[in-house]
Amino acid sequence: MTNAFRTLALASLAASTALGASQAHAAGVNAGTLIQNTASASYGTGGSTTTVSSNTVSIRVDELLDVAVSSLDAGTVSLANSAVLTYRLDNTGNGAEAFSINVSSAVSGNGFDATIQSIAIDSNGNGTYEPGVDIVITNGGATPELAADGSTVIFVVVTQPSGTADGLAGQVRVTAQALTGAGTPGTSFAGQGQGGGDAVVGATTANANALGSLIASSATVALVKSFVIADPFGGSKPVPGAVVTFTIAATATGSGSVSDLHIVDAIPAGTTYVANSIALGGTALTDAADGDAGVASSSGIDVTVGTLAGGASNAVTFKTTIN
Amino acid sequence: MIRLISTAIALSLAIAPAMAQQPPSVALEGDVKLEKVVEVDGRSKTVLEDPKVVVPGDKLLFSTKYANKGSQQVDNFVVTNPVPQAVRVADDSAAALQVSVDGGKAYGLLSALTVKDADGKVRPARAEDITHLRWTVPAIAPGASGTVEYHAIVR
Repeated sequence: MTNAFRTLALASLAASTALGASQAHAAGVNAGTLIQNTASASYGTGGSTTTVSSNTVSIRVDELLDVAVSSLDAGTVSLANSAVLTYRLDNTGNGAEAFSINVSSAVSGNGFDATIQSIAIDSNGNGTYEPGVDIVITNGGATPELAADGSTVIFVVVTQPSGTADGLAGQVRVTAQALTGAGTPGTSFAGQGQGGGDAVVGATTANANALGSLIASSATVALVKSFVIADPFGGSKPVPGAVVTFTIAATATGSGSVSDLHIVDAIPAGTTYVANSIALGGTALTDAADGDAGVASSSGIDVTVGTLAGGASNAVTFKTTIN
Repeated sequence: MIRLISTAIALSLAIAPAMAQQPPSVALEGDVKLEKVVEVDGRSKTVLEDPKVVVPGDKLLFSTKYANKGSQQVDNFVVTNPVPQAVRVADDSAAALQVSVDGGKAYGLLSALTVKDADGKVRPARAEDITHLRWTVPAIAPGASGTVEYHAIVR
């Protein structure tokens, strides 16, 4: 009896060990796994020992549909021109599953709604957005299939709508939903589970979302125009022949910066532009449309200031004579 | 010719009673049910269902029915059940049954068993460590039957 018993026990141990490798999942055993139970019995009758086995009952583990989404950004992301928000999607179910991704910047309480430029899946798993490398999906598109307990990183590239005031906050929501289906926990989709069983919605409703936070970084420009008159007689009377020096001071305020700033002004009627009198920040410029930042003619001036950071200022000067 | 046929009948008659004298046969019949807690009139009630949809965390009841279909008493009847890897024995069964945590070599009450964890330290065995279950029935009379069962949770 002992011998027969020992042999049986060892055989089943070997079987358990072989199965063991694919187990121990946070989300539970993989969908499609067969649970097979067989009992055996040994007994004695009149000095002999007999061993019998039961039939094997077998049930298949169905697929649990579960998902989690989180934001990977350390905090609020500053959005000047464009920014990348980073999210993580975890397949917390027990089967391979793809998820649809919906991104919305219209979140209640937003100071501004960022413009969604593109959505990308981290194709090489390095956690860094690489344009041209990471797989771009459309809003509402799906991720590749993720293994049970697998995860992927999702990048959302956003831009700042023009005219967004500096310091406004905006959130962007990423929602993931199991492609097989979602709904009330317990909802089942017959035959649609991995491994041929059913798919059943788990506690997460197979739909999850996370918010990423943005703060708009922009700047506004204030222009102040002033003039100084120098008459031919050493005074400051606006008489014919007097030279008027105009100064247009541009000051940017805000945490961001303005770019492509041009200061354009017309030559006042009754005056004549003094050739090559334009200057930017005290540096003289030529009138011709050449390498420098200034262009001027008898009708007006156009000086390219370019980028002006918040808190910085610059000034354009030019001279006219009173006719 | 007639004589030959009657010999054959006599032979078969002689064999038939001999078969009834064969060692007693015990049949084992395994079954599994899904245990579900349902609300009935505001009260929780456990019901057993055929397992149609089974997911991790579900509770199962594995049962093995034995029946002595022979004409002799069966002694020292020991039922052994390796626990499928995909389930763990539920706490109620784990505490009450003779269990093994070493692949069926040694059996005892769970509270008396220990296992070595990954870094070689000995710790008290837990329900999820159970590899085998065992039931002992001292004797089964001819025609008698019974059932052994355990609760398990899908890992």
